[in-house]
Amino acid sequence: MDCRAALEKIDRKADGLLPREAEVELSAHLDGCPACAAEDAAISATGDVLRALTGIRAREKSPALDAMWTRVRAGIGESREELRRPSWVARWAWIPAAVALAVLALLFYPAGTDRSPFHPSTFDVAVEDVESEVATVALVDKGEGLPRVIWIIEDA
Amino acid sequence: MNEREKGGVPDDALIRATLAGDDGAFAELMERYKGRAFAVAVGIVGNGDDALDIVQDSFIKAYYKLKEFRFGSNFYTWFYRLLVNQAIDRWRKSARSAEVPFDESWLSEDASPPDAFAYPRTPEDLLRDRELGDALQRALDALPEYHRAVIVLREVDGMAYDEIAKVLGCSVGTVMSRLHYARAKLKESLKAHREG
Repeated sequence: MDCRAALEKIDRKADGLLPREAEVELSAHLDGCPACAAEDAAISATGDVLRALTGIRAREKSPALDAMWTRVRAGIGESREELRRPSWVARWAWIPAAVALAVLALLFYPAGTDRSPFHPSTFDVAVEDVESEVATVALVDKGEGLPRVIWIIEDA
Repeated sequence: MNEREKGGVPDDALIRATLAGDDGAFAELMERYKGRAFAVAVGIVGNGDDALDIVQDSFIKAYYKLKEFRFGSNFYTWFYRLLVNQAIDRWRKSARSAEVPFDESWLSEDASPPDAFAYPRTPEDLLRDRELGDALQRALDALPEYHRAVIVLREVDGMAYDEIAKVLGCSVGTVMSRLHYARAKLKESLKAHREG
């Protein structure tokens, strides 16, 4: 086996994909080739060193990891509260919707109907008697087929 | 059955109990996977505090998304997808530069000195060769995030290629090529450190 073939086998061995017979063959090559043996040692050590590195980090944070449920439970509670609270967007979403409706009403109200928009110039006003000391109710009636408008005027 | 479930309540049963309102069942589920989750997160972001936040946020997210879990599939594959995405997002957002120093208090007196040719195999051995640990961390940091995720899932968590592919949403072939690339880069850093 030459070094090029050995290097390919070293990679496959690291992936756990090298058949047993090929591994024996590779091992024989490594015994007589320090360069390939160094390559094999380094590549097969990557996993060990990586696990050792994360093991150190895990030990450092072991107490915090032990208390993880406390943190998670608190986080779940906070998220639950946030879900109950209407979001900023939801709280103010009616404003653009109302503006859009108003614009549409202004633009399209006269269109699609042969009826001219209602602009009261003269008021045929009938003031109703109401049992209230704080408001006056006025009925504006422009005739048949037109909507009756009810004005509620708060007394000063 | 997952190996973590042996002798215990299956993951699926804990998920059903959680969905029925039993938070204690979710706590048990979390206890099963928090260690592995931390190892994966810290392998990707390289910082213990960030990794703790990632694990916490991932479990909170999992709690609220649990109703989307498809019974019959692996909980940990499903959960790791959340975890790895959180870790990668965190990595992208953070301008990471500070290395976490090794804590020498973990050094035990009876730890064996490093052999001239052998590489550290345990945390204690690695602590005796701090420069090697730093070199490996730098090599990890230099990897693209999905390559880092692949090698961490494979080498630290021991996941199979097809499971990694499910977690990362890519093909097994992509997993293998990323793994090959990542391993080669880490190997270069180990060799360079040893030879330099």
